[in-house]
Amino acid sequence: MDFEIKKIDDWRYLIPKTGAMRVPGLIFASSELMPDIRGDQSLLQVVNVATLPGIVKHALAMPDIHWGYGFPIGGVAAFSLEDGIISPGGVGYDINCGTRLLTTSLFASEIRPKIKELVSALFRDIPAGVGSRGNIRLSKQEESKVAVKGASWAVQKGFGTEEDLERTEDYGVMKGADPAVVSDRAFKRGHDQLGTLGSGNHFLEIQTVDEIYDQKIAGVFNLFEGQLTVLIHSGSRGFGHQICDDFLKEMGTQVKGLGFSLPDRQLACAYIKSGPGKRYLSGMACAANYAWANRQIIMHWTRETFEKALEIAPGDLQMELLYDVCHNIAKLETHVLGGKKVTLCVHRKGATRSLPPGHPDVPQRYREVGQPVLIPGDMGTCSYVLAGSQKAMEETFGSTCHGAGRVMSRRQAIKVAKGRAINRELEDRGIFVQARGRNTLKEEISEAYKDVSLVVEAVHMVGLAKKVAKLRPLGVIKG
Amino acid sequence: MESTPVTYRIIDHTADLGIIVKGPDVEHLFVHAAQAITDLMVRRHVSDKILIRDVSVEGEDFPDLMVKWLGEILYLFEGEGLIVNSIEIKSIGPIQLRATLALGRFEPERHQILREIKAVTYHQISVNKANDGWEARVIFDI
Repeated sequence: MDFEIKKIDDWRYLIPKTGAMRVPGLIFASSELMPDIRGDQSLLQVVNVATLPGIVKHALAMPDIHWGYGFPIGGVAAFSLEDGIISPGGVGYDINCGTRLLTTSLFASEIRPKIKELVSALFRDIPAGVGSRGNIRLSKQEESKVAVKGASWAVQKGFGTEEDLERTEDYGVMKGADPAVVSDRAFKRGHDQLGTLGSGNHFLEIQTVDEIYDQKIAGVFNLFEGQLTVLIHSGSRGFGHQICDDFLKEMGTQVKGLGFSLPDRQLACAYIKSGPGKRYLSGMACAANYAWANRQIIMHWTRETFEKALEIAPGDLQMELLYDVCHNIAKLETHVLGGKKVTLCVHRKGATRSLPPGHPDVPQRYREVGQPVLIPGDMGTCSYVLAGSQKAMEETFGSTCHGAGRVMSRRQAIKVAKGRAINRELEDRGIFVQARGRNTLKEEISEAYKDVSLVVEAVHMVGLAKKVAKLRPLGVIKG
Repeated sequence: MESTPVTYRIIDHTADLGIIVKGPDVEHLFVHAAQAITDLMVRRHVSDKILIRDVSVEGEDFPDLMVKWLGEILYLFEGEGLIVNSIEIKSIGPIQLRATLALGRFEPERHQILREIKAVTYHQISVNKANDGWEARVIFDI
C-alpha cells in the first residue's frame, strides 16, 4: 500500500489519511531515527491501525517504533467506547510486560567488589530463561486469586509491603478481572511460572545512577548520583500469552460478521461494548494482575538476595520500589478530546504511560513532579528515568516510548556476534552478565538495538516525558 | 511420515522469528510445520515414555488451521510438558485436521530447551499451493 510521510517539524512526521485510514498517522522521531523506522514494515502497521473502527485523533508511533505483528511495537491508539474496538493484538501476547525500578541507600562503589557474587546469587535465586519454572506452584483456585488481586496477593503472602503497592501503576491491580473468562490452558501455563523472569529481552539489572538531568525531580524520586539501583523487566509469562492467544482466535472468527475488513489477521478485534470485547478486557485484566504479582515477587527475592549476599540489614540497604510501570496494555482512561472529557480505550503496545504533574493517578509522593517513566535500554548501554508530562496528555493520550527498540533480528544479531565473547566484552566495560540461554547474549548485543539515548532524547525534546536520570548497568541476569 | 526430512527455513523478523515451511502435499506441510516449531523450542531426543494422543483442530481456512495447529503443539509443550515425536495425520481439509500424536514427556535432564515461543501469530500468515507442492509462512512471537 502506498502512503505519504510528511515531516511536520524536527520531531514529528505525519502520514496523511489515505485509503481505508480513518485518522492520520503521527510518528514521533528524530531525523536520526527515521531511516531505521522507514527500513522495516512498522509504518505500514501504523497505517493498518488507523483503519480500525472508532480510532480517534491519530494512530501514534513512539520513537522506538519497530516492526511488530499487527500493531507496531511502540504503537499507541485510542478508541471511542461508543463505536470503537479493542484488539488483543494491540496489547500483545505479553500482557502487562513492564519494568520496576528499585532504589537503595548505597553507592554502587560500595558493592563493586561483590558484584560478581551478587550477579551469581541473583541468577541462582530468581528463575530465568526459556521454560523457567518457579518455586511457587499454584492451584487453579489460588491462581484465580492472583488474577483478581494482582500485586496485593503477593504482599498478602509476605512478598513485600503495602507501601510497594502505592508505588505501582494502579496499585498493581486492574479492576474488572474475571477468572471465569480465562481458559484452563492459560491456568495450566501459568501455574508454575509466577516469580520467573522469562527469556528474550527480560532481565534483572544491577545499575548505578550515572547522571542526573533534573535535580529537583531526582530528589523527589529519591535518586542520587552514584546510587545503586536495580531494574526488573518481566511480564505475565505463559498465563498472559495464552489469554491473548485464546481471544485472538475467538475474535478472528467473530470479526468477519462486524462489517469491516482487516488489513492483517493479527488485528482481530471486537467492539469494546460487545460481549467478546468486555470478556477480553476482563481476561486481559487477569493477565495484567498476574504480571504485577510476578514483578512484586521477583522484587521481594531481589531484596532477600541482596541482604544475604551483602550481609546487610533491610534498614541499611533500604531497597525501595521507586515505581512499577507497564508497557503492553489497553486501559479505559479519561482524556480531553475536542475540549470535552471522554473515556477512551487506550492501547499501548510497547509504550509507557506518562502522566503529568498533578494527575490524580500519580502517587501522592510524586504528584508534584509527574509519574516516573522507566525506559530500559540494552544490557550494554544504559536505561533512563523520566517524568510524565502535560504534552503527553495533549498529544499521545498520556504515553511515551518504552525502550530502545530492536533494529536487528535475533538471527542477524547472532551472525554479527559470531566468534565474539560477548560476556568478556561486557566485562571489560565493567558489566557482569549471566544468561541462561545459549544464544541469549548474542541475540541481545547492543548493536541489535537502537541507541536508547536517541529515543529518549526524542521524547524529551518533543516533551512526551522529561529526562531525570541515566542508569548504567553493572550486572545483568537474563533468561 | 516421520522419516520425511524436515524442510523449513527461518526467516528474519526484527522483533520475532518466522519460518517458511514446505511439503509435497498439504499433509506433509502440516507435519513439517509441527516438526519445525518443535525444533525451534527444544532439542529432541526420542523418549522411552511415549504417550499417544488424538487431536482435532478446527479453523476457517488453511492459514487459520495452521495457526491453531501450531498453537496446539506449542500448548502441549508449554502447558503440559509434552514433545511431539511423530505425527500421523488422519484427515485434513481447510477447516479441520485430525491427527494422532506420539508424544514424549519433557525431561529437563535429557532435553535442552532452545527458545521460548510465546505464541503463533496471524501476522502475514500464508498457506499456499506452490509449484512444487505446498508452502506456508508463519511468524512466532518470541
